[in-house]
Amino acid sequence: MARSWATMEDFEAFLDGGGLVEAGDGMPDAYRRAVFAFIEMHANSELMGGLTERDWIPKTPGLRHKMAVLAKTQDEIGHGHLLYMVAADLGVKTRAEMLEDLFAGRSRFHNVFHYRAVTWGDQVAIAFLVDAAALISQQAVFKNCSYGPYKRILRRIIAEEGFHMRLGEDRMMRIAGGTARQRQMFQESLDRWFWPALQLFGPDSKPDDVLLRWNIKSERNEVLRDRWVQKFVPMLQGYGFTIPAPDLRWEAEARRWDVGPIDWAPLERTLAQGGPDSARRIGEAADNWSRTAWVRTALSDGSGS
Amino acid sequence: MSGQGAIREYLLAFADDEHLMGQQHTEWIGVAPFLEEDLAFSSIGQDELGHAALLYELVLELDGIEPTDTAVDRLAYGRPSREYRCCRLVEYTTRDWAEALARHWVYDTFEAARWRLVADSSLTRLAAVAGKALQEEAFHRRHADALLDKLLASPEARTRMLGALEAILPMVPGLCGAVAGEAEAVRRGVASAPTPDLLGPLEKAIAERFLVEVSGSGSRSGSHSTADGQFLRTVRSTDFEPLMKRMREVLDYDPEAVW
Repeated sequence: MARSWATMEDFEAFLDGGGLVEAGDGMPDAYRRAVFAFIEMHANSELMGGLTERDWIPKTPGLRHKMAVLAKTQDEIGHGHLLYMVAADLGVKTRAEMLEDLFAGRSRFHNVFHYRAVTWGDQVAIAFLVDAAALISQQAVFKNCSYGPYKRILRRIIAEEGFHMRLGEDRMMRIAGGTARQRQMFQESLDRWFWPALQLFGPDSKPDDVLLRWNIKSERNEVLRDRWVQKFVPMLQGYGFTIPAPDLRWEAEARRWDVGPIDWAPLERTLAQGGPDSARRIGEAADNWSRTAWVRTALSDGSGS
Repeated sequence: MSGQGAIREYLLAFADDEHLMGQQHTEWIGVAPFLEEDLAFSSIGQDELGHAALLYELVLELDGIEPTDTAVDRLAYGRPSREYRCCRLVEYTTRDWAEALARHWVYDTFEAARWRLVADSSLTRLAAVAGKALQEEAFHRRHADALLDKLLASPEARTRMLGALEAILPMVPGLCGAVAGEAEAVRRGVASAPTPDLLGPLEKAIAERFLVEVSGSGSRSGSHSTADGQFLRTVRSTDFEPLMKRMREVLDYDPEAVW
């Protein structure tokens, strides 16, 4: 039975009491749009993440290793698939409209997928550092998420992302214990991916962030970012890698790592589709989408929409 | 050729085909017409690579080598090109998604028939793998058939699919091509019939599926040299070296490394 709320105060009181909003509810339009935009970006990021990794999937070293990587990719695209359905149910855009917007450069996806994986080490860095960052964010959303359909899907996504991160960690450990060339390759990947992965959390949350007020996010960006820093800085150092942060220091009293000032300009460029690989990534996805339009036309029963 | 050598050739051809077919599917992930197809190719690719790994293990056992993942990879990636036994169809670099789908249907139709030939193999482990593979193949074929049902019913898509099939068809006899010692492998009960026996039925299935005439290359069934000159599967096409280079790129980066 669909519910509705007479005023925003009533709605927020419902959320404050731990209420879960369902797709058919008469939710306030501002909430609907905020949840939609958040899920759309998550869906886009799963899809574009798959495209970032696909450059290296065929080159995965080893038969069973490749099977594991394929399983991960299948999960990621499956997440995108589920998320697009949940987003479409909000009635703001259809799945086809979301994809058209994505390929036209009109909608957003995570900053990290505006970069190119240039070596196998980058692939491992993504599977480890980026997936871990995404997982930390998703866990925080799941914890107190007020939108029921998203929360239920996050449960599954988080379980699978946990496996991916362990796969990435396992591959990183092999490299860490490997040859000098392997270690050098991964150090260079770390130099490329450390800051983009850290910036995935975004700048500090604004005091009036509606995503926090409406229990779409449960923790502030800076808290999540710090959680990632405190876990991965010592872990990577422990494996003998150098953190590419010249101002990195250990605050003995607070017992925490401080990475120093963060330059947000690269993040802002990705938000404007001006990241290092944005044009190629979006362009190729758009070309491919148009090249395969004949299939969607022939299957015009809605499979492509 | 000794019985063991013949069996090895037979298994190697099967394994190499599965390996490269799985590899080719990985190229189409993320660039399919819609997300469900990205998912399908990543799932089917995993199945084919899984079959390849199990078949390589059987080869290693014949060679008296412990079938560890490293040994499997050495066999899968580490041979000179003349020692591969794959067919032209799985080496072929498809030009578009229509060709990838046409190849997927043709290959999986053939593959299901090939597994049936070894379902009661004297190599009991091969028979066991066949049981599992046949279940998976039913899904693969259902997937490809469901798409083709719709695509072939639409005039524009049908034209594209027939164009794709035209590119694939010359490689079909090679797909059913024999290896050296095939008759000996059959005599020893590894398979119930030689691979070239599958050509006639495969061409008939293609003709019925796509409603086209498939010229009777089935008459060459049993021949060692197929239409694309792949004598006993020992000759590689020009697509093979670039494909192998791509597959080996990370492995070649540091031959000492374990990834």
